[in-house]
Amino acid sequence: MRVLGEACLLMCLVATGYAAVLSLMGGSRLNRGHSRLAAWAALVGFAALSVTLVALAWALASGDFSYQYVANYSSRLLKWHYRLSALWVGQAGSLLLWAWMTAALALVLRFLRTLDPVLRRTAFGLVMGNVCFLVAVMVFAADPMAASLTTPREGTGLSPLLQHPNMLVHPPIVFLAYATWSVPCALALAALGRGRLNTTWIHLARPWAMAGWVLLGVGLLLGAQWAYQELGWGGYWGWDPVENGSLLPWLTGTALIHCMLAWRQRERLKKTAVSLAIVTFGLCNFATFLTRSGIFSSVHAFSESPIGWMFLALMGLLLAGGAVLVVRRRGALAAQSALSHILARETLILISTFLLVLFTLVVMTGTLVAPLSKIFVGRFVQVGPAFYNNVLPPIGLGLLAATAAVPLLQWGAPPTPARRRLLVLCLAVSGVIVTVALLAGMREPIMLAVVGLAALTVVTLLAAWLYEARHRQSLPLWQGLLGALRNGRRKYAAYCVHLGIICVAIGVTGSSLGTQRKEVTLDEGDMLNWAGRQIHYLRLEQHQLSDKLVAEAVLQVARDGSAPVELRPARHLHLLQNDWTTEVAIESSWRGDFYTVLNAGLGGGRVVMTLVDNPMICWIWGGGVVATTAAMVAMWPVSRRRTEIVDLDSSPVAKSFSVEQSISPASAA
Amino acid sequence: MAAAVLVATAIGYLAFLGAATSWQYYLSVDEAVTDASVLVGHRLRVSGCVATGSLLIGDDRRQATFDLEGERHVLHVTCSCLLPDNLTEGIDVVVEGVLGADVIRSDKVITRCASKYQPADTTAIRDEGLAPPAT
Repeated sequence: MRVLGEACLLMCLVATGYAAVLSLMGGSRLNRGHSRLAAWAALVGFAALSVTLVALAWALASGDFSYQYVANYSSRLLKWHYRLSALWVGQAGSLLLWAWMTAALALVLRFLRTLDPVLRRTAFGLVMGNVCFLVAVMVFAADPMAASLTTPREGTGLSPLLQHPNMLVHPPIVFLAYATWSVPCALALAALGRGRLNTTWIHLARPWAMAGWVLLGVGLLLGAQWAYQELGWGGYWGWDPVENGSLLPWLTGTALIHCMLAWRQRERLKKTAVSLAIVTFGLCNFATFLTRSGIFSSVHAFSESPIGWMFLALMGLLLAGGAVLVVRRRGALAAQSALSHILARETLILISTFLLVLFTLVVMTGTLVAPLSKIFVGRFVQVGPAFYNNVLPPIGLGLLAATAAVPLLQWGAPPTPARRRLLVLCLAVSGVIVTVALLAGMREPIMLAVVGLAALTVVTLLAAWLYEARHRQSLPLWQGLLGALRNGRRKYAAYCVHLGIICVAIGVTGSSLGTQRKEVTLDEGDMLNWAGRQIHYLRLEQHQLSDKLVAEAVLQVARDGSAPVELRPARHLHLLQNDWTTEVAIESSWRGDFYTVLNAGLGGGRVVMTLVDNPMICWIWGGGVVATTAAMVAMWPVSRRRTEIVDLDSSPVAKSFSVEQSISPASAA
Repeated sequence: MAAAVLVATAIGYLAFLGAATSWQYYLSVDEAVTDASVLVGHRLRVSGCVATGSLLIGDDRRQATFDLEGERHVLHVTCSCLLPDNLTEGIDVVVEGVLGADVIRSDKVITRCASKYQPADTTAIRDEGLAPPAT
């Protein structure tokens, strides 16, 4: 099976390379023979890669330690799902999974119906080229089918830190996100290369960009949640270079989605849109370089490998090629309309894009300070969290402000007098809410600003919804509200994405500013009052499982006289690796988390613990769920019947008349 | 355009302030020892290997001392912080703290975490079958 897998890997390398070359040949004329041959070659390559993937998965599941990869990352003591998850834990396995996902998505792209087959064929060829690159990296530098020199009786096993439910899904989701982002990049390069710079490529690329954004966002949140639950330091984000690496394409991807909207509605931000499509996928490769090159000290990876530099080279090639094409097509990418007004939607998109790019540059600067300082100063210099905490809040607040006003604004025109009055009313309402928060004891300026902007976002959304229901539908209010949602599903789903992001911002701000920490030494039976809670340490329990020893501290925690909750922070000794891990216990509510860590046992039931009060943490996870769900609703294709219902606010026609004029009794008559 | 330049300048200034208060050198043991006369009293990060036979961890896992090995030099480390679970001898770590005379007083230790792309060399453990439980 291993030899078959190896042969299939080589077959895939040839087939995908052939498919890429055939698809990119022929200029703007569609050669059906070449196109069909390329599709067959891609299918053969995908089938071969699938065989390799199945071979490795089977070897992991069955504990075949004749595979070097299986011996290095698995063991018979692991539960079956962790044995399978070892597929994406190591260098070669993760590359195999990433390549397989990219090949699958390439085939989806190839067989999609589209108005522009030349564009699709060219993009398909570019994505196939990416698959060929990934397979080549495996063949020459990280072979998943490599044999063990000697077949051990037992494998090394999976690191205990990776034996967590989130690690079953976080890496595959991130790799799927990276694979998905290759498609908008390929479509942008194809549009630039073939000179097909109309909105067709936007229609093709937008669903892929949305999917990539959702997947990468979910991947980031799952990773943050893993760090929060597994690493035992009470935090979820450490500005680690590897963490930053995955955040960068998410930020530029967010800007890309909005620039696509501005292009589609107002023929603006064209250069920015195509550039961001290329940069986003380039940053996915940059993130891979950060993880696999070993040039950064990171809590995620200390490995050193030449593979990382290959991905950096690919990123460089993408950026250089993209820059040349953008310059070459700058005439076709010129804006077709001027910015109409500071309070028009496209202006806010421009401002938001600028702020998102600035955010990206700040994070990238903080990440690259170390290697750049080595080059220019001769020593590695790193910056800590204070760098990011100083710079990013103002940018974040600017983004929230731009987001808050959008529902009441229009494309191509300033807000109408009625909408302007509504906006002022919304500002007044959010001002009242901030005043209430101030009187209730909230003093942090940043928290007050976030609360105010969150209130403004909610109030403007409700105001816009009510306004549309009342003025656009000659129906009872409740029917008007439903009709507005039905006719503007994507628009309102996008507003809900903004709401989700606002919730995340509330959670991040609240937890950053309000976290308290206490280290205690307790004997069995001790009670403690702290952070508004009564904590009773009952006893220390120890028992043995098949693969580990478990020591648990049993706590009862009560808050404000409510029924006590039992928490069991623990320490596990994993027998195969002879490694201890900390298993935190968390009590969650909408107000925040109570986070307990068992640090050490001192004998006789005496324990050392860390207690952390983390306000508003669940707003981060909940906000992520809201944003993800809403984005999926926005992504859902619009039915043919619905496209006939004109949403005046999102139509370029809106720039020439006001909503009141269009639905006034006089015009209706 | 003017507004964009103004905002970018303001952000750049904030970044400078943030960097000025949080920057620190990241050095190998050999670099830290070689330049000790210049770096004494500075907060820095030093990477090295925990020397075999040197690690002493307090019962409460809040105190530890060990020697950090480079290629040519050794630096003594005293830690006053919550220690990572997988802190053991023979592994690569990064310590963060203030450099004194031949010692780093550290308040943070970062260990090699679950390196996804480079497995540990546990050949001896594997050849034995299962690893013996810790005593």
